[in-house]
Amino acid sequence: MNKRLVIFKSILWSLAGLAAAVAVMRFAFGLGAATNLSDSTPWGLWIGFDVMGGVALAAGGFVMAALVHIFHRDKYHPAARPAILTAFLGYGAVAVGLLFDLGLPWNIWHPMIFWNIHSPLFEVAWCVMLYLTVLALEVAPFILERTPFQKLYRFFRKLALPVMILGIMLSTLHQSSLGSLLLIMPFRVHPLWYTHFLPEFFFASAICLGLCMVMFESCITSWLYRRKPEMEMLSGLAKIAAWALGFCLLFRVGDLAVQGKLSMAFEGSWVSNLFLFEVMITGLLPVVLFSLSAVRRSFGALWFAASLPVLGFVLHRINASGLSQVWATDAFYFPAWTEFSISLGIVSGCALVFFFIQEHFPVDPHELDAMEEERRRADRRTPEFSPFSQIWLGEGWRKDAKVYSMLFILALAVGLSLAPRESAVASMPAEEGRGRDVLRLGVAEPFVYFDHTRHQKLNVGRESCGVCHHLNRVGDLGTPCAECHRSMYEPSPLFDHDHHVEKLGGNDSCDRCHEPGSRAHLAATKTCSSCHEKDMMADNPVVRKFDSLEAGPYKEALHKMCIPCHVKMDELKGEGENLQLCGTCHDRGTKSEAAFFEWLERRKRNEQ
Amino acid sequence: MIQNPCILTDVTKCIGCEACVAGCKKANGIDLRDVPPRKGATPDGLSATRWTTILRKQDNHYVRKQCRHCLEPACVSVCPVGALVKTPEGPVVYDKSVCMGCRYCMLGCPYGIPHYEWNSLAPSVRKCVMCYENLKSGDLEQPGCTSSCPTKATIFGSRDEMLAEAKRRLDAEPDKYVQHVWGEKEVGGTSVLYISDIPLDFLGWQSGEHLGHEPLPAKTWSALKAVPYEFVGMGVLMTGIYWIIERRRQLAGSAAGEHEERGEETDE
Repeated sequence: MNKRLVIFKSILWSLAGLAAAVAVMRFAFGLGAATNLSDSTPWGLWIGFDVMGGVALAAGGFVMAALVHIFHRDKYHPAARPAILTAFLGYGAVAVGLLFDLGLPWNIWHPMIFWNIHSPLFEVAWCVMLYLTVLALEVAPFILERTPFQKLYRFFRKLALPVMILGIMLSTLHQSSLGSLLLIMPFRVHPLWYTHFLPEFFFASAICLGLCMVMFESCITSWLYRRKPEMEMLSGLAKIAAWALGFCLLFRVGDLAVQGKLSMAFEGSWVSNLFLFEVMITGLLPVVLFSLSAVRRSFGALWFAASLPVLGFVLHRINASGLSQVWATDAFYFPAWTEFSISLGIVSGCALVFFFIQEHFPVDPHELDAMEEERRRADRRTPEFSPFSQIWLGEGWRKDAKVYSMLFILALAVGLSLAPRESAVASMPAEEGRGRDVLRLGVAEPFVYFDHTRHQKLNVGRESCGVCHHLNRVGDLGTPCAECHRSMYEPSPLFDHDHHVEKLGGNDSCDRCHEPGSRAHLAATKTCSSCHEKDMMADNPVVRKFDSLEAGPYKEALHKMCIPCHVKMDELKGEGENLQLCGTCHDRGTKSEAAFFEWLERRKRNEQ
Repeated sequence: MIQNPCILTDVTKCIGCEACVAGCKKANGIDLRDVPPRKGATPDGLSATRWTTILRKQDNHYVRKQCRHCLEPACVSVCPVGALVKTPEGPVVYDKSVCMGCRYCMLGCPYGIPHYEWNSLAPSVRKCVMCYENLKSGDLEQPGCTSSCPTKATIFGSRDEMLAEAKRRLDAEPDKYVQHVWGEKEVGGTSVLYISDIPLDFLGWQSGEHLGHEPLPAKTWSALKAVPYEFVGMGVLMTGIYWIIERRRQLAGSAAGEHEERGEETDE
């Protein structure tokens, strides 16, 4: 058995299992939990890689169809079928990827009936739908070739040429329209990526990427299946790719030069370095490598050279559609592991389907014959007992199926236990209050300043603490707000069950809170205030009872505490400062702000 | 409802009380609690439950941020399904039943206005809709924000009136104001105008100069209008090349003899 292939497939199955777990989480807890996207970066890895990159990676389908069936370069015939199959699976992957990324995926079919011809995305949606259909028609002949449905097979064969031409027409449109998508955001896309020729460049780069992807894929399959690489075809493709990549490079650099932006590439910022890196691996390096005949004769070197532009152009899509926009929005975005997992899982799924079709249908008829012969021989072989595992897992595909499904389930379990269930909000602990005269509240400018000393004076002495400090810790006279309301935006738990069990005397003490005989549900449980009545401050105007297991978000708690009092004070005062306005607290240059900095100075002096 | 409704905000008159925010929430029935900001986002004051906000700038300057209701809105132009609509009267509104959640509108907007309900399982795009439904049905005479402004810093009227009012104020006190009406010409003109004593370029992702006066949708349309020609052109080109090469092969084949041609035909 081919060990390389088994290991490779094992990895793919594990990735698929992990992605399946994340998929469950994505649909159970929403985009917020599964991604690091935000309002400043609404598009991330799933659009950049799965959609923008996926469509471009699948460009090999139309490039090879044109090369073999229109230009009649018969030398490349062996690569045509795998390329078309890749394209079909690739576009399928784009559709699946979109289902994850769309906020309302069940409306994915809406572009069919709701039209907006002014939107490039509308055009892309239609082209992808139509092209997926076209690709299905292109794939149908080699699925049907060795089945009993020969009439149908001949029908699809006759259809092949017009279908291929239609496929090329559709590809031209949507490959370039992916570039048009970005034309409307000159304010977001970095100037090094933005040009009026984005559609043309996307089309040209799709052809390059298509060619390189075909080479890369041919290399990887011959390595995995231990076949003799088709060096003549590969070196021919390399020659074409060198020309195409060279053209793309000149196009890009020339366009920047004409726009007068070339100097920006050498600014030294990380965005400009990213650009230089991209140009290096999509243009300079592969063009040089592909034009060396020594490289074109070596399988390993060719494989390496082909992988560079594949990476580079995918990076270009990711950069243009998201990463480079950090320049404008000043926001930080790095994909969550769950995002990577879905992207990798979709690629793995595609690769596995590709292998399956390759092993059972005549994508490459000669190789299929060889593989079937190998399978027949394996069936006749006597069973072998593995001394290492001490388990007999069966032979041939039965053994593989057991290994793969176990890995899939293991990865699924790992994924289910690790995937985040809550939205990634900025973690914002509330301000520590103990020992401060003036508090600075909030997470960023503009802050609210709360002058504790002044409020103390206004409320006449110590007896008035309870006006705000509604609940205190044991031995405390005024527990700071932040010790219970610990998070700015999220409620924090107040009740520690273990602590109560321990303090009240272990298992025997259940009855002291939970009604005897009942199950320990909340309904049959005493409220906190039935024991802690004395800990509550009696004269607090807002919170009079202690019966919640959680302290609300800090922000909400303060608003609830401050506003009613301010409204009342305002009514009592009659005229003067309007205390009901938000600006009383939420403002710059308030008295409390000055008091805060004064206090800060004082503290510094005392420390010295 | 008046044609081309417009909001004029005079930054010099705003005291930063946020009554407009409260008015907006009340008029649109939005949850009073603000959703926490997402990790890594640029804090911009707006959120899915806060369609307008006050930005506090140095020296007690307060600038209200909201949807501009552009005359030729980029968000409407990019929406593949037309879930965002420029109404015949002027306000830009959103229809959730059509939306598929691609979030292209959020990227297309030069001011970063549309916000998303990231924590929802069926999220909507949220932004100011100029209280369109309420204005149309006659429940409100003007949007919740302008009617609740205690200092008349933000006022409501038709675009022509508001533009005339803005220019009148600029002329009356030329030393007080920066001589520019933000929104008059930016990205083809917007239905929310600003006059101010400080430059307001921070309101967009880029300065108004960078955005230009050309409506943004024109940038994509110049590429999109070529689509039918590209489509047909590519088809003709490919068919032509196929025909020429096939013909040449046939001629070469018949010159070499019948025998070879038949051999080639079986080869796909």
